[in-house]
Amino acid sequence: MKNFKFFITKIFLRKAILSIAMLLLFFMANYTIFTAARSILSTFQGYQEIKYMDQEGTYIANLDPDSNIDIDAIVENGTQIVYDYLNNNLKYAFYTDGFIVSLPNNDDMEISLNYMNEEYYKLNQFELSQGTDLDFDYQLDNNKEIPILIGKGLSKTYPVGSTIKIEDPVLEQSINLKVHGVLKKNAYHSNFYALNSKNYYNFSVFLPVNEDFIKHANIDLQLNGLMDVIILQTTKEKVEDLSEIMKENLGLKFNFFSQKENYEYFNEYYLHSLKIISIITLILLVIITGLSIWSALVSIRLMLKDFTINLLVGLSYSKLRKIFYSYYGILFFLNLIVVFFITAYSRYGCWLRKDATFVTYGVFGLIGMDWFALLVVFIFDIIIGMIIVENMLRKIKKVPISLGVLQ
Amino acid sequence: MGRSLFRFVDRLELCITYLFCFSLNLIFDYVKTLSLDSYILKAFLESFVDHQTLINLLFTFIVVVFHYQMLHRKKTEIYCRILVGDILFNITIRYTLECLTILGLVYLLLIVINVYLNFNLTSNLYLVCIFVIYILISASQVGKYEKF
Repeated sequence: MKNFKFFITKIFLRKAILSIAMLLLFFMANYTIFTAARSILSTFQGYQEIKYMDQEGTYIANLDPDSNIDIDAIVENGTQIVYDYLNNNLKYAFYTDGFIVSLPNNDDMEISLNYMNEEYYKLNQFELSQGTDLDFDYQLDNNKEIPILIGKGLSKTYPVGSTIKIEDPVLEQSINLKVHGVLKKNAYHSNFYALNSKNYYNFSVFLPVNEDFIKHANIDLQLNGLMDVIILQTTKEKVEDLSEIMKENLGLKFNFFSQKENYEYFNEYYLHSLKIISIITLILLVIITGLSIWSALVSIRLMLKDFTINLLVGLSYSKLRKIFYSYYGILFFLNLIVVFFITAYSRYGCWLRKDATFVTYGVFGLIGMDWFALLVVFIFDIIIGMIIVENMLRKIKKVPISLGVLQ
Repeated sequence: MGRSLFRFVDRLELCITYLFCFSLNLIFDYVKTLSLDSYILKAFLESFVDHQTLINLLFTFIVVVFHYQMLHRKKTEIYCRILVGDILFNITIRYTLECLTILGLVYLLLIVINVYLNFNLTSNLYLVCIFVIYILISASQVGKYEKF
């Protein structure tokens, strides 16, 4: 400990510029790895999440990129005709979100209403922390309560069994909701077309919709629901017929991609992107590691006399190795703390901005993928630390002690 | 040149550090021109491109390290030169001019590459200003080694 203290205060910190340079280089290496590891894990989680589409006979609607939405061009009752066709001929999973409603809560967040039908609910198997499953067979009349699921953030204000009265933005009337269950904390949904981007459901309300509900809803819900509608247990011919019906009644061209086409698309698109991210990260790491080694060797050049004098008066190479490892351990630890605080600040920033779709619960707001990325950074730090220290020692051992002292 | 503090390896090292910093800026400019279809890749690259100036500034620290270690290593040489009749002012001027020449040459090379790639020539001007400041600060430190 005495030796270590001496080396830190009398040798390393006397040339503080070199320590600062090392800190900056390690910070950039750590931040790069952290970003890459989190991106890759987040994409992988999204990929796992959409695996339910990996079934024979599943087709997902996708608005043709050349089709422009013109609500005026949609014939009267056009959307309802499409839904009637869907109800009579096909099995479909319906989900749409992002309808903001004013609902008082402890954290003063804007609440998003998410609508889904029974098929979507079955496909996703939402995990609950409290309460029971949703019931989709309710009647839509003024006094009847609609069962709902809520996010963890609302569970204190609205415990299971409580009732909520809201002005529903899609029915455009007052409805009564009854809390049936609370989702597990940090329940999320990945965007179909950006698997690394997630919406968190901590401040969301899930409303079950049935045929009657969709029939009474306004065109916003009906049209939005068709944008990503998932057709289940069907054939190519049947979805082509549906596409024709949609074209006739909505004036919009929808493409339906099969499970196999989606799988190939996702494989090509995501695996390719992930490969490029990994390659870029690797190149950056090689460069930063190279610079760190250069900076470490520069330190050796400047501190060689100090090291060799200490070796001359009895310091062993194994003790010197321990001192180096402890010194770089401290530098890495400081960097890990900085990366940790940056992440915590960005997570906490969502709470400050009242960004309900991104707020998360966890120690300092950090969630599983953040901890995983920090673990990857920690492992990398150990590896890069070993490379640098062993290189430094090799360099010191090359110089005879007598020559080093004379320098 | 014969009385320069620089050896071939030092010149090469300084060239590489300047080239590295300018190239980093060039790569950022290049990434900005890419029209990527992949959202993931775009989001990943944006997390760096959004902090382009900060990252460039952090990496210029390697030039600070170079100047710092260069002068530290040359302190005996500076002292000896003064002992044999050289003047501190001349040593400082020679050191400054040589650093500026290397910077100028590397910048010229970058201008040629920028013109070839049709990139904005002014995007790395701020780096030149920073490097000139580093050179002037390090030149002011030469005097520290007048007395051994």
